[in-house]
Amino acid sequence: MADAVCTAFPGKTPPRTWSRALLLTLPIALWSLFMSLRGLLQHDRSLRTASGLTAALMVVLFYMMMKTSSTYRWRRWFFVALGVLFPIGFIHNVMVLRGSMGIPIEEMIAGRTPFCFLPIPLLILPAALTKTLVFPGSLLPGGGMSGAGMAAMAGLWLAITLVVGKGWCSYACFFGGIEEGMAALPKKAQWKKLDPRLRLVPWAVLLAMVLLSLALFEPAYCLWLCPFKAVSEYVAARNTVGLVQNGIFVVLFAALVIVLPLLTKKRTQCTFLCPFGAFQSIFNKTSVFDIKIDRTVCSPCVLCQKSCPTMSLTDDSIKKGETLMSCMKCGACVDACPKGAAVWHIRGTQVAVKPERARLMFLYAAWAMAAMFGGSIITQGLATILQRVI
Amino acid sequence: MKWPTWKLGYTAAGMTVLAAMLVPFLLMGLFTKGFTKLGLHVDEMYSGGPTVRTIQEDGYTIEVHKAVYPHLLQTEKPFVQLDWKPVNALPQHVSDAVDVDGDGQPDVRVSFDVPKDPKTPLRADVDALNPRYQAMRNVGKRKFSELIVRVDDAILVRVPLTGR
Amino acid sequence: MGGPFLLGEAFLLGLASGPACVASCGPVVVPSLLAEGAGWRLNARYLSSFLGTRFLGYLLFAAIAWELGALVSPPPAVRTLMYGGIHVLLGVALLWYAWSIGRGCAHACAGSGLVNIGRVGKHGVSGAAVLGFLTGVSLCPPFVAAGLRAAQLGSIAAALLFFAVFFVATTLWFVPFVGMGCVRRNASVIFVARIAMVLVALYYLLAGIAMLAGRRIYG
Repeated sequence: MADAVCTAFPGKTPPRTWSRALLLTLPIALWSLFMSLRGLLQHDRSLRTASGLTAALMVVLFYMMMKTSSTYRWRRWFFVALGVLFPIGFIHNVMVLRGSMGIPIEEMIAGRTPFCFLPIPLLILPAALTKTLVFPGSLLPGGGMSGAGMAAMAGLWLAITLVVGKGWCSYACFFGGIEEGMAALPKKAQWKKLDPRLRLVPWAVLLAMVLLSLALFEPAYCLWLCPFKAVSEYVAARNTVGLVQNGIFVVLFAALVIVLPLLTKKRTQCTFLCPFGAFQSIFNKTSVFDIKIDRTVCSPCVLCQKSCPTMSLTDDSIKKGETLMSCMKCGACVDACPKGAAVWHIRGTQVAVKPERARLMFLYAAWAMAAMFGGSIITQGLATILQRVI
Repeated sequence: MKWPTWKLGYTAAGMTVLAAMLVPFLLMGLFTKGFTKLGLHVDEMYSGGPTVRTIQEDGYTIEVHKAVYPHLLQTEKPFVQLDWKPVNALPQHVSDAVDVDGDGQPDVRVSFDVPKDPKTPLRADVDALNPRYQAMRNVGKRKFSELIVRVDDAILVRVPLTGR
Repeated sequence: MGGPFLLGEAFLLGLASGPACVASCGPVVVPSLLAEGAGWRLNARYLSSFLGTRFLGYLLFAAIAWELGALVSPPPAVRTLMYGGIHVLLGVALLWYAWSIGRGCAHACAGSGLVNIGRVGKHGVSGAAVLGFLTGVSLCPPFVAAGLRAAQLGSIAAALLFFAVFFVATTLWFVPFVGMGCVRRNASVIFVARIAMVLVALYYLLAGIAMLAGRRIYG
């Protein structure tokens, strides 16, 4: 049956034999093992076990992607694990170091506020104009929670972005997995009609936050809007306005990360708020890999549009045979398309000619990044849990 | 002779996969060094500005930082940060007249108690001996430009400038 | 009075303060300019209206403050109230502007082609003019710096002239914004601009209310 479908729809790759899938998984297995080596050689049993489990997870999921020729549901397991385990590891560290998720002013003065990638677009203009980083962190590795320092995080971000473009949002972001997990829970969406203009709100948030950050010389999004402070840390409120700021992020987290994904089966925080996501969309213009719609095969049944977690396919874009620049390269549309019209693609090549080759090349690059970056975070989270158990 | 676009595409894709392998071994380090070489620094509203002078007291030092001025629409006042260190060498009650601007005349008198428990909140009084500096009473850590906090082995006091 | 030297000083102070002016006016100017129609002529008209009323605001404030002897440093409580009040007005004006863009007659009503947010008699009042005036009377740091200097001059005429030259120099930094006329305006761009205006407005409203209530943003 599968072969019949694939003959009729060349864009649809048939499932592979287990031996062929294993062969294709081998490079990733070696890579994952290498990435986990440091953890596997630790004296700490929980860290050793966590490293081994993480490597196994990444290899098994990649094997399943090769075996079944579908991407989205296996990638989602990794991404949800990342989204759930990051807060576990992070909050544990924060509680051990300072006993509270609230960042006291002393830590900010000492330059020990951990730096995440979300404020990167806000820091660019002040840094370009005055060589000042408007974030209370440290440029170089510092003590406590500052981790590797802002330069290292920025370097990591740039390196991964050059490889996967906006695929960052599907393979590296350690926040998106929570809402992706929420969106996966219900069988059907309760709210199906969403105003497509809401997709543009992240651009407005990006514009407003960049301008306010330059005017106020502070990371405006982090202070006022970021919902993920609920699962990481926040500025300890010293006054009424601080309490209002903290109230805002609690409401946004509850609404956009928990409730709306349950109701809509979409990644609503990413689609309707995240300014970093809008910023990363720019890198889709430079990325070699993208997803195309083969209009000679497309019905259109718009199953791709319905399956897209970020509303990156519209009637117009399907007619043009492409996704919008907000596409996160998660593969949901490719897997959902019954005729193989939605295909992975390499710029400059013909659409739907050897799409599986494009998929493989993209996945090798993206999964390598996932294993390197996300894998280390998953290991930390697992080790935190195992420390309680072992 | 022009290369067909598909060859260029596959070449770029191959290079992307290669770049992915190089990220942890080369690219990340390269970009990190690149960022550090840009000469960026953390906003002095957070870091307190560079140290310009050190005053030797009896068993401890007071580091005087360069005055920090707010940018654009920042709501903070301009301030100067003074660091007392090391904390374990400080007396139970500190009351020092500090020459901030280095003209030989004391500009502020800063008084605070040094509690044994490092988690006890600190409170400071500042008397302005020079009208350029703002007096403060019982200040805690209300804002970046007016505070007393303990950071590692130092007690930091930030005294706002009046703008006169 | 030191004529040319004084004017030169005002000009240089304005040039040096220009980036600060642009950055502090940016959250207001950029989204509202994007929400206007495309074309460098229309954008130039917007900027003329914005800067013209900003200039009026500068001069008006300078004249009143001079008369009250408060140009050097208004009492902190007065300054906080003024700053807070202007923030609230700016927030309201931005919200009104964002709402007006959606109205059918917004462009047609204003003879200038700019978005209209009110009427004075027979004439429409463009949003650019209102925003320009409000940013002109807000006590931004470059304005305060100019005020400190102008207060040392012998007469109100000298002070106003100082402010005028200072203003012209800061205005030069706004000229590149005319280039935003080249950005294609479609429904998506205008929608983004409107939402950005709403977000900026909410910030100004919150900041203004916090100041009026006596609580600073950060303690």
